[in-house]
Amino acid sequence: MAAVGRLAGGTLKRPRWRTGLLLALPAIAIFALLFVAPLFTLVANSFRTQAGAFTFSNYARFLGDPFYRDVLWNTLKVAALTTIGCLLVGYPFALYMRGRSARARNWLALLLLSPLLISMVIRAYGWLVVLGPNGPIAAVLTWLGLTPPQLLYNDTAVLIGMVHVMLAYMVLPLMGSLDRIDPTLVPAAKGLGAPGWTCFWRITLPLSAPGMLAGAMIVFSLTASSFVTPAILGGPKVKLMPYFVYTQATTTLDWPYAAAIGFVLVVVTTGLLLGYSRLLRRGRGEVVFG
Amino acid sequence: MSVAEAPPETAVRRGRLRLDGVRKALGGREVVSAVDLETEPGEFLTLLGPSGCGKTTTLNMIAGHLSADGGVIEVDGRDITAVPPHRRSMGMVFQSYALFPHMTIADNVAFGLRMRKVPAARRRKQVAEVLEMVGLDGMAGRHPRQLSGGQQQRAALARALVIQPDLLLLDEPFSNLDAQLRVRLREEVVALQRRIGTTTILVTHDQEEALAVSDRIAVMADGVIHQLDRPREIYLRPATDFVAQFIGEVNALDGTAAGPAREGHACEVAGATVAAMPPGEPPATGAAVRVYVRPEVVRLAADGEGLRGTVRETRFLGSRIRCVVATKAGKVTVALPFDARVPEVGEEVTCAWRPSDASLAAR
Repeated sequence: MAAVGRLAGGTLKRPRWRTGLLLALPAIAIFALLFVAPLFTLVANSFRTQAGAFTFSNYARFLGDPFYRDVLWNTLKVAALTTIGCLLVGYPFALYMRGRSARARNWLALLLLSPLLISMVIRAYGWLVVLGPNGPIAAVLTWLGLTPPQLLYNDTAVLIGMVHVMLAYMVLPLMGSLDRIDPTLVPAAKGLGAPGWTCFWRITLPLSAPGMLAGAMIVFSLTASSFVTPAILGGPKVKLMPYFVYTQATTTLDWPYAAAIGFVLVVVTTGLLLGYSRLLRRGRGEVVFG
Repeated sequence: MSVAEAPPETAVRRGRLRLDGVRKALGGREVVSAVDLETEPGEFLTLLGPSGCGKTTTLNMIAGHLSADGGVIEVDGRDITAVPPHRRSMGMVFQSYALFPHMTIADNVAFGLRMRKVPAARRRKQVAEVLEMVGLDGMAGRHPRQLSGGQQQRAALARALVIQPDLLLLDEPFSNLDAQLRVRLREEVVALQRRIGTTTILVTHDQEEALAVSDRIAVMADGVIHQLDRPREIYLRPATDFVAQFIGEVNALDGTAAGPAREGHACEVAGATVAAMPPGEPPATGAAVRVYVRPEVVRLAADGEGLRGTVRETRFLGSRIRCVVATKAGKVTVALPFDARVPEVGEEVTCAWRPSDASLAAR
């Protein structure tokens, strides 16, 4: 409704801008000092040689090397698949949560957030046990007389681990979106002759797009830049961008090249997210997010 | 809109709804207990009652959004109790209007036709026609949020009517509108309903609205229908204490039944004999009864048959004069026409009424 910031008597008096700025100042300071400033340093570094002279060679090296192009492609692929995985697992869960009582919802939310309460390393090692050759999945498959497939140290392992962590980031915005849908819309559609599936495709799904978009953006960007879970579950065979930023910075000690890899990731991810949101926004004719 | 006005001859004579012993429990509580109801085709019937009385639950069972725990729901002789809502033919207008916010008004109205696989050309024609009928031509390309509350209400009505439903179901459709618009729109809806002749069930808690629009009113409380009758009967001859107290203002006078009178049934109230109409079987002589008399039907006289009392207070209210008369049976409120003689405070008067304008019920 268009009642935001309005009372029955008229428009609310806005707080003075200086008061508002004062309230936002701590957050702005943290972002400016700890995020924007280092980002500039990062960009500046990426255009330098190890000796400090200006150069494009770091980018030329990255873009010229099929290995690194492959790494970038694989990173985006894993991020996209994780996003799709979270949507496929998270959407039914959010739908289920919507109909529950406040009490049940609290428990379900706790369940959803539980992976975030455990250290990333411990959680990843947990998956190592579960997916490993002596783990329960392999045991069940062997008992059934099947040869257990290789579940560890590949994209599938990373995908499983990432969907597990990222699910909450997808479901929570989705819940927000679903909760904002007028509960009489689906009965209204049914009354007009729409069976259950049609109601979902034509009413619920399009109206929850803002939540899906928000969730997808968070999951995609967090996955593209995640390090610990892919490193442990993917092992040396799954090569993702953050891993190379890490090795270039700590092993090879080529900081300018590490900066260039990092910045390529930032630019590509941001570009994709902006394009994606623009696309959805145009389709719906309204601003949904960002 | 007068009750005597018959639906037009040209109207389709269908839409006979019958509820037989319909029950529903929600959250362990029986919300609707054994509701029986039958409409005439083309009738405008209102379910009236306070919140929680089961009227909306009843409507949702008619629409199919809730399944009945027991009983039978029939439309034109077809048992639809187990038919899912999307296979019933009910045009429903929700309190929130429930317009699809991501679709234009034209797409909202066309939704039901699309579901019925009506070809595009005919669909466009029908949408244009119904939008013109509700006065929304030119709004087809807008989105619901670009419309005022009254326009949204009309759009919701158009969407419900375009599918030519068996029944038009209105769930408190006027309650989100301001007072003036509410009266105007409800007059429009009644006029439209008379014209197209679709049987209509309105759910409301607004007794004035119910009296103004309905052919018949079913007054509901605690999941049962207390009285189902024409507005005049509901108002003048309430069948139960609840109906009497819920609608308008009423004088409730306790007495004992005294046998048939020349008109209606006689009753001893504080030493005086008055008469009223029992809604059903007349009570046994000597039974404790309560007489219900609306302030508008009481006439004041200097003497004669009736309840004697002293005028305590008079107020000029514009459309009428309100007097309070203290009698042995308690205070009696009287609404006199604006041009009646205003009695003096302290004057001795007799309160009398036509027996057919009052009712009595066992207490």
